[in-house]
Formats: sequence, C-alpha cells, structure tokens
Amino acid sequence: MALLEVKDLQVSFDTASGRIFALNGVSFSLERGEVLALLGESGSGKSVTASAIMDLVPNPPGAIDRGSIRFDGTELLKLSRTARRDLCGSRIALIFQDALAALNPVYPVGWQIAEMYRIHGRNPEGGVEKAVIDLLTAIGIPDPERRARQYPHEFSGGMRQRIMIAMAVALEPDVIIADEPTTALDVTIQAQVVDLLATIRKRSDAGMIFITHDLGVVAELADRVAVMYAGRIVETANVFELFEDARHPYSVGLLASQPRLDTDEDELVPIPGSAPNPVALPSGCAFRTRCPRAEALCAEVIPPLETVGPGRQAACHFPVSPA
Amino acid sequence: MNQPLLKVEHLSRHFGSGATAVRAVDDVSFEIARGETLGLVGESGCGKTSLVRTLLKLGPATSGSAVLDGVEITKASGRELHELRRKMQVVFQDPYQSLNPRLRVDRLISEPWSLHPDAVPKARWREETVKLLESVGLRAEHADRYPSEFSGGQRQRLGIARALTLDPTLLVCDEPVSALDVSVQAQVVNLLARLRRERNLAMLFVAHDLAVVRHVSDRVMVMYLGKIIETGPKQSIFSAPAHPYTQALMSAVPTPDPRLRGHRKRIVLEGDLPSPANPPSGCRFRTRCWKATSICAEQEPGLTARTAAPGLLTACHHANAEAAY
Repeated sequence: MALLEVKDLQVSFDTASGRIFALNGVSFSLERGEVLALLGESGSGKSVTASAIMDLVPNPPGAIDRGSIRFDGTELLKLSRTARRDLCGSRIALIFQDALAALNPVYPVGWQIAEMYRIHGRNPEGGVEKAVIDLLTAIGIPDPERRARQYPHEFSGGMRQRIMIAMAVALEPDVIIADEPTTALDVTIQAQVVDLLATIRKRSDAGMIFITHDLGVVAELADRVAVMYAGRIVETANVFELFEDARHPYSVGLLASQPRLDTDEDELVPIPGSAPNPVALPSGCAFRTRCPRAEALCAEVIPPLETVGPGRQAACHFPVSPA
Repeated sequence: MNQPLLKVEHLSRHFGSGATAVRAVDDVSFEIARGETLGLVGESGCGKTSLVRTLLKLGPATSGSAVLDGVEITKASGRELHELRRKMQVVFQDPYQSLNPRLRVDRLISEPWSLHPDAVPKARWREETVKLLESVGLRAEHADRYPSEFSGGQRQRLGIARALTLDPTLLVCDEPVSALDVSVQAQVVNLLARLRRERNLAMLFVAHDLAVVRHVSDRVMVMYLGKIIETGPKQSIFSAPAHPYTQALMSAVPTPDPRLRGHRKRIVLEGDLPSPANPPSGCRFRTRCWKATSICAEQEPGLTARTAAPGLLTACHHANAEAAY
C-alpha cells in the first residue's frame, strides 16, 4: 500500500470570471522514502495539490469537488476537521515557499518551532526547549540558543527557509510536502537548502513531495517526477527516464526550452504560445494548442493517463516514441 | 574609431553618508561596445539594480563617471538628459507592474513619440506601432487591447516593443525573463537575441539565472557586495572562472541532468552576504571564502588578468582556474 495515494482529485474555485478548475482529476501515489517532484509552470495546479492534501483549500471560493486522498490507509477527505488538523503538521507537514509570510513576525522563532510540540501535545525527551535547540543545530543555524530568541526579520531569507524546514520536520512526519522551498532564494543559498533537504531525506524514511518549476532542482533531488499541465498530470516517470526519454510533448518541450550552463546552444527551442486560460481550457487535451504533434483527435478526446512503460505513464494520444 | 558605446569609470553609488553609508556600488569600471551584450550576474543585494538605476539616471551617482556615446550620464540634465534617454532604454523585470493598466497598447507604444516629436510624425504612429508589435511577435489587432488582456510573456513582449520605440543604441534589461515560465522565457530570450542582431543593439543584461546569461551574453561581469569581482568573455568566465565566488556560484546552479547527481563538484558557500554598510576589510568575499589568507584581510585585490584564460580579469589574491567545477 502506498503511503499517500491521491485519486481523481478535482478542485475548483469560484472567480469573477467563472468557475476555474484548478485540478481536473489528478492521481498519483507516494511511497515511503521516496522523493516525488511535482513539476509544472505557474497555474498548472502544483500548489493547489499541496493545499488539498493539507486541507488548506479556502472554502469558499474553493471546493474539492471529487476524488480521494488516502494517507496510510485512511481517507483524508472523510475525516472530521479536528482529526484532519491533528494529522497535518504531525504526520503530514508542509514547507511553504515564502518563509517570511509563513512565519509569525511577532513571536521569536524558537517559540514558533516549540508551538509544533505544544499544539500536538508532545513532550519530547529532555523538554521542548532542548528539542528546539537540537533542531536549530541540525538545520545548521549557528549559535542556536541565542538565535531561538530572535524574530523572523532578524534572519536572512535562507535562514528563514531553514526555520520553516525545522518546523516541518519537528514531529518527524511521514510525508513532507515542500512547496517551491528554494524559489525565492539565491543560487548559493538554494544549494544550501537543497543539501539540507537531501540530508533530511537520507536520515528519515518519510516520503517527500517536492513542488517546483525548476528542472535543475528536480534533477538533483527527485526519484520520480509527475509533470503537471493545466490541472492534470501529463506524465510520470522516474527522474532518469524523464530527462533522457520524455514521452509527453509538453515534457519534451519543457526540457528543450531550458538553457544549459554547461553548453552553448545556438537557439533555444521554446514551446509556442502560453499556458491556457483556466476559465476557458481548450477542448480535449489542454496542451493541444501549443503541441507540435496535435491532430483532430486531440481536440475531441481528453487523453487519459496511461501506462507507456514499466512504472511510467503519459496522457497523450500521440506520445513521443522511445529514444 | 573603436570608442566603446558605454564607458563606466570608478562609478559609485552610496546610500547615506559617512561611516554608515551603504556602498551599494563601489568603484565600478567597465565598457560596452556597440552591438555587444554584457551580462551582469550576482545575488540579491550585490548592487546589480543600484548600478542599473545609476546608469539609467534613475538615481544620482555618488562619484565616478559613465559616458554613453560621448555624453556624461552622471552630469546630464534637461535637454541633454532627454536626448540621452532616447539612446538608452530599459526592459523591466515585472511586466505586470511596468505597463500602465489604463493605457491601451497603441497609447503605451506611442507615448515616447509624443515626448520626442521628431522621432516619428504623428500620422505614422499607427503604422509604426503595428510594425513594432509585429517585430516582437504580436499582431496588429493587439494595438487596441489593454495590458490586462495579455499573458506574462506577451506583456514582456510589449515591454520590449515599448523600449524599442525610439530606436535606442543601448538596451538595459533588468531581469527581463525571471518572472516568466521556462517555456515562455525561451521565447523572450530568442526574441531579444534576434532584435539585437537586426538592430545592432548593445545590451546590458542583468539576471541571476546564469544559464540564461550564458546564452545571451558576449561578455559577463560578476558582482559581489558592490564590486565587480570577475569579468571576461563568456567562454573564459564559464569554462575557466578563477574567482572562488564565481566558481561557487556556478557550481551551485543545479544541472538539469540527474546522471550528474553526486558526480559534480559542488562548492556550497557558508553563511550569507555580509552587510554592504559594513563590508569586510580587504577582499569583500573573504568571510565566505575557503581560500582566504591573511593578505585577503589586508589588501583589496585589484581586477586584473591573473590566469591564462583569454580576457579574464579577476579580483582575487588566490585566483586559480584549477579549482573550477
């Protein structure tokens, strides 16, 4: 049994310009000890997927219309609100993108980390204070006793992101969801945070969902990748297969449009056009308007996510043939 | 005549004064030739934006000079500044904030012509607007729409079209693609490359994405805490960087190739950027540098040729291409 299993998840939002379907039947699973990257561009539904798992979809205007999220055998969408809240933070934890916005500016960071233990009624061995100091040490904050008493604004962006990570791992969760945790950071700081996440992942057998648009970070950290486009998963594959032999034309296009640091390319190969308006998605396959392989069928039938090889799936009527 | 288009000498931009001044740009010198693209990289707080703003005369220089096509930017005012702005245009990072949402595209594009009436006669505004829109990959009918009707990539195309209205010789691009998705970013990068060829534009291309900078630039300049710490032709700087900071910066960029995971030498820097109000003595990078010795605290290293890499200038006492990633 998978640690986390999401099936046919549909999430929509009411907006001034109509109902937007942010997720249109998203299914994936996460195993223990695995890092699954959710890769996609803005508006593809990556963060909404995280919100749905964490019960953070604002209702109204948002609603989970259908689908299932099973965690360790329990259906999360049928749990009471309190039971769900108990799970979130302790067994499933979220690392937010914007640490400055996610931390409370008027409490010291040590107090905020300690809140994890207080709210979930935990009494770590040696006391909460010691646990907080140990955590700060583990995530590489120098002088942790003093730093624990400081406020978020007294930390740099990279340090704040480390503190978010400390809060997320405090109760040793089974699932860690990291929502673009390095996007707002400079490359040298990003490298530090990626290293920290890699260490955490080696030390525990938690499953990690890593949400990002950065192909480089995916290549460094992920075991498996689910590529999202317009609220759907269009391809899943292990990380090596995806980079060497992508099947969905969108994945292929995404890889080709990225400039490389280690080679000179004559001209980049962009994907034409831009992501579709979520209020008026194209009929059939949402990618067809930008797809070089699109045919008449693509406008009529939504391609289902089908197995295209051992352990890999693609949602395309005319997938790219194996390399 | 081989005069550079832009010649910057000992330019500084300080905020505040005395001992507590933040030295955002500190004694910076460089040149850009006609038709050349100079990439400027560095992390947040290194002074990229302050440098750009000083060059665009959006803020005063504290000292030093910057000469564009024979005109001193730092001293220009009135008529002279008006003419200068025509030669030097800017593409901003955020295409959502840099376009007035209440102006229709035809007004947005033709506004610079109303300020420079001799540029394009009013009777030809529409025709020229359409030409410009088409040259950036938009269509004639887009002239009658408002910015809100465009996607991020299209807005950046509008921003570029607007920057080109007065046919500038220097285009300053301040993080022009960092707000865009990867698939769209490539479209805008290709567009800038084409326009540059067609119009013989010189560009100062500021970005934190090193791969994008490598793709567009002829030469690259690396800034750290208000100083240029390394500069040179892109071949030299990307294949044989000699400054430890440049090496660390490049090694930190994640490579989109999972097979290289764990096989690449990664230099992970300790700590954060020191405060520019109180920079370290001597070499400003020494507090995070693994090669630092006592000389680094005592003497500020000059930007000179220190390795065999052609054209590469490095400000480091221990410059060494060997340690490249």
